[in-house]
Amino acid sequence: MTDEPLLDIRDLSIGLRGDGVGYDIVRNVSMSLYPKEILAIVGESGCGKSLTALSVLALHASPPLHITSGSIMYDGRDLTKVSASQMRAVRGAEIAMVFQDPMSALDPMFTAGTLLTSAVQAHHKVRYDVAKSRALEALADAGIEDPRRRFGEYPFQLSGGVSQRVMIALALINDPKVIIADEPTTALDVTVQAQILDRLKELRAERGMSIILITHNLGVVASVADRMVVMYTGEVVESGMVEEVLATPQHPYTKGLLGAVPRLNSDAATLVPIMGRVPQPNELPPGCSLPIVAAESSMSAGPIARILRYMVTP
Amino acid sequence: MRSLLKTVVLTFLLLLASSLAVFAAIRLSGGDVTAARLPASATAADRQLFRHQMGLDQPILKQYATYLGKLFKGDLGNSLTNSAKISTLAVEKIKNSLILGATSMLLVFGIGIPLGMIAALKRNSWFDTGITSASVAGMAVPNFWLALIAIYFFSTRLGWLPSAGQGGIKYLVLPAFVLSAEGIALTVRMTRSAMLDNLNQDFVRTLRAAGLSERRIYFKHVLRNSLLPIISLAGLRVGQIVGYALVVETIFGWPGVGQSLVNAVLRRDYPVVQFFSLLLVLVVTLGNLAASIGYTLANPKLRK
Amino acid sequence: MSRFRRALKNKQLVIGMIIAIVIVVLGIVGPAVFGDYSKQDLLRGHKPVGTPGDFFGTDALGRSLAARATYGIRISLFVAISVTGLAMVVGTIIGLIAGYVKGLVDGVISLLIDFIWGFPLILVAVLAAASIGSGLLPVILAVGLVNTVAIARVVRGEVLGISEKDFVVAAKAGGYSTMRILTKHVAPNVIPVALVLSSYYVAVAIIAEAALSFVGLGAQAPLPSLGQMVSEGRNYMRLNHWESTIPGVIIFAMVLSVSLIGDGLRDLLDPRLRTALERARAK
Repeated sequence: MTDEPLLDIRDLSIGLRGDGVGYDIVRNVSMSLYPKEILAIVGESGCGKSLTALSVLALHASPPLHITSGSIMYDGRDLTKVSASQMRAVRGAEIAMVFQDPMSALDPMFTAGTLLTSAVQAHHKVRYDVAKSRALEALADAGIEDPRRRFGEYPFQLSGGVSQRVMIALALINDPKVIIADEPTTALDVTVQAQILDRLKELRAERGMSIILITHNLGVVASVADRMVVMYTGEVVESGMVEEVLATPQHPYTKGLLGAVPRLNSDAATLVPIMGRVPQPNELPPGCSLPIVAAESSMSAGPIARILRYMVTP
Repeated sequence: MRSLLKTVVLTFLLLLASSLAVFAAIRLSGGDVTAARLPASATAADRQLFRHQMGLDQPILKQYATYLGKLFKGDLGNSLTNSAKISTLAVEKIKNSLILGATSMLLVFGIGIPLGMIAALKRNSWFDTGITSASVAGMAVPNFWLALIAIYFFSTRLGWLPSAGQGGIKYLVLPAFVLSAEGIALTVRMTRSAMLDNLNQDFVRTLRAAGLSERRIYFKHVLRNSLLPIISLAGLRVGQIVGYALVVETIFGWPGVGQSLVNAVLRRDYPVVQFFSLLLVLVVTLGNLAASIGYTLANPKLRK
Repeated sequence: MSRFRRALKNKQLVIGMIIAIVIVVLGIVGPAVFGDYSKQDLLRGHKPVGTPGDFFGTDALGRSLAARATYGIRISLFVAISVTGLAMVVGTIIGLIAGYVKGLVDGVISLLIDFIWGFPLILVAVLAAASIGSGLLPVILAVGLVNTVAIARVVRGEVLGISEKDFVVAAKAGGYSTMRILTKHVAPNVIPVALVLSSYYVAVAIIAEAALSFVGLGAQAPLPSLGQMVSEGRNYMRLNHWESTIPGVIIFAMVLSVSLIGDGLRDLLDPRLRTALERARAK
């Protein structure tokens, strides 16, 4: 961890602008990804973790979303300022992405092979047969049993697990330095989840890639990631080495998250839900996330979850 | 593929049934045929004899079988108005209608799809607003009135194009544009909404993340997905063109099937009505069948 | 915001309704105000709009254009609205049954529906006129058949989707009768679609009636139909364009108002229903 960060997000804010509304969904987020590490971004739905990741490759829906301040440094360049064609050269070749729902994330009208060869030819001027052999390699690298058969199949013919492996092949095919995986296993069966995660870990070891793993599953974080960042209501509330954060969580939200993880050595009755709901960005009082901090200071005893009871008052 | 075979078989059964229905409806009003052929002074016995000679007193199914038998031998009977052989007449009319119909279909898709794509690409621009409003208005103008306005401006006022008749390509311009106007408007609307819909699909984000160019994503992936509903409804466009051709050919004096059918109905020329009605039922049915075959072939899910 | 106030904010709906009200009022009071539509005066033919004594102009036979056009509105509205209204009721019932009962009944009904749906209204009307002779009756029969089929088709599709939904499955599991499930749970979800769709089919019917009358197969003289007026007036475009412009503009306004009302109602609908509509409107 003594190296320079490969990808460095500094004070990034992303806002919703238009038709009389204007507020930031992601506020002053900073995080660094170092070479060969797996960084997990953890948080519940709507906390801004996916949006932060999408903005790295300028894939957020713009308009109405805009990066309002901050920088994303990669390889000496600020990705928030590069031109569209420079960004296109980064996408897939330097930084690749794997998305959550593989079934809808693949174009239904084309075979897996066409998608993969197009991705090769988007970055390299090579003949089709070269692109094809790379595609077959990538499919094998992604852990697909029968690359030749899958090459000619359409997305509707693939199971969820195989689709996700095709997505991973699509991400690997141009040999990027960074892979951002946005909840890559959420839509899959538990056994397939484990296989996919193992494959990601192996790839890191084999190719020296860095991986950003977005998830709300702390079990996944504990088994795969080196470091973690916890996000809540659009802000980073805690970050550090995985073991440290999980052993001694500092922020009440992280404690709450840990309380909500089922454990084999305890009975279900002690599973503590996080009460209330995530406040919408426009419901936050000035100063952000303060209600939680305030609640914590007023608490003396009782279950952790009580601290987190956050009622949004209109 | 199996379902396609089923579609083909069912379509032919329905075609047979519907053509029989049309045949029967026209034949059963056969009182008019006798009225048209015989003088008013003919007695009831004369009429009965005439009906017997014409085979009009036989069961309708048998009449239909006889008619189809003759049809396949190329014997379509004679027109009542000028005694011309319908088979000779039909070849010329069909050729003319094919020219007009094919040109209009080409205009519907050749103009409608690109305009819809541009409108989607530049959504909310002045171009998009203009195209979208024009297509709403285009669907509200009845085409016979559009034809009159077009004739008034381009023939009567400006003298650029002939108002009626048939000859070189000049004669084709006005009828083809009027005939395709509503189809163009509909195709623009559909293309635009399908493109916008597909641009918001998850797969577009995947392709962007893989580094594909916007142009390639738009023209290859989004377009291919958007064409599917357009192909599936191409059969309706054929039907629409056939329906409107009845009116447009009449206005522009275009000597095609549509004009002949309308005139024959007005003159109660039943043999001609009979043949051209069955022909148009056939064309519309085949148009819809072709579209559903096209849809099956274009959709990977159905093709396999 | 109440539904009514939301409707008032919808520009398309408001403009469409205003045009529609003007036209309906013209159709109701016009014939009484403008007098006999068949009264001829050959000495006062081809008068343009604004002529003293014949303020709204006259046709070749000196008949009042206003009287004829407003009577034409009546015919057009009768054919389009009453017949499409009936088609909506029958089509919805057929669609509900086919979509809910499924099996062979549905197979046969949907096969026929899809087949007939492929035929354009004007062709069906011409075929009807070929069989039973020219007049308004073949137009009415054709509009009735084609619009019934079109509405049944969409309703069936919607019902197929809805009957898989949990609330219907729950009602079935609860032992409710089919009749009750159809009327209380399924129908309320498809009737809005059928209503909006009907407004579009009214537009198609108006055009078909006008087109048939234009070529001489629809309303027969001396009944004044708008399409027929356009047709009679087209020979005098240079002499007195009003003879075809007045009925032409009225047809355009009628079709536009119904389409605007349809678009406006669609925007007030559940977004989920809009895709079904877009698809059904492809005709």
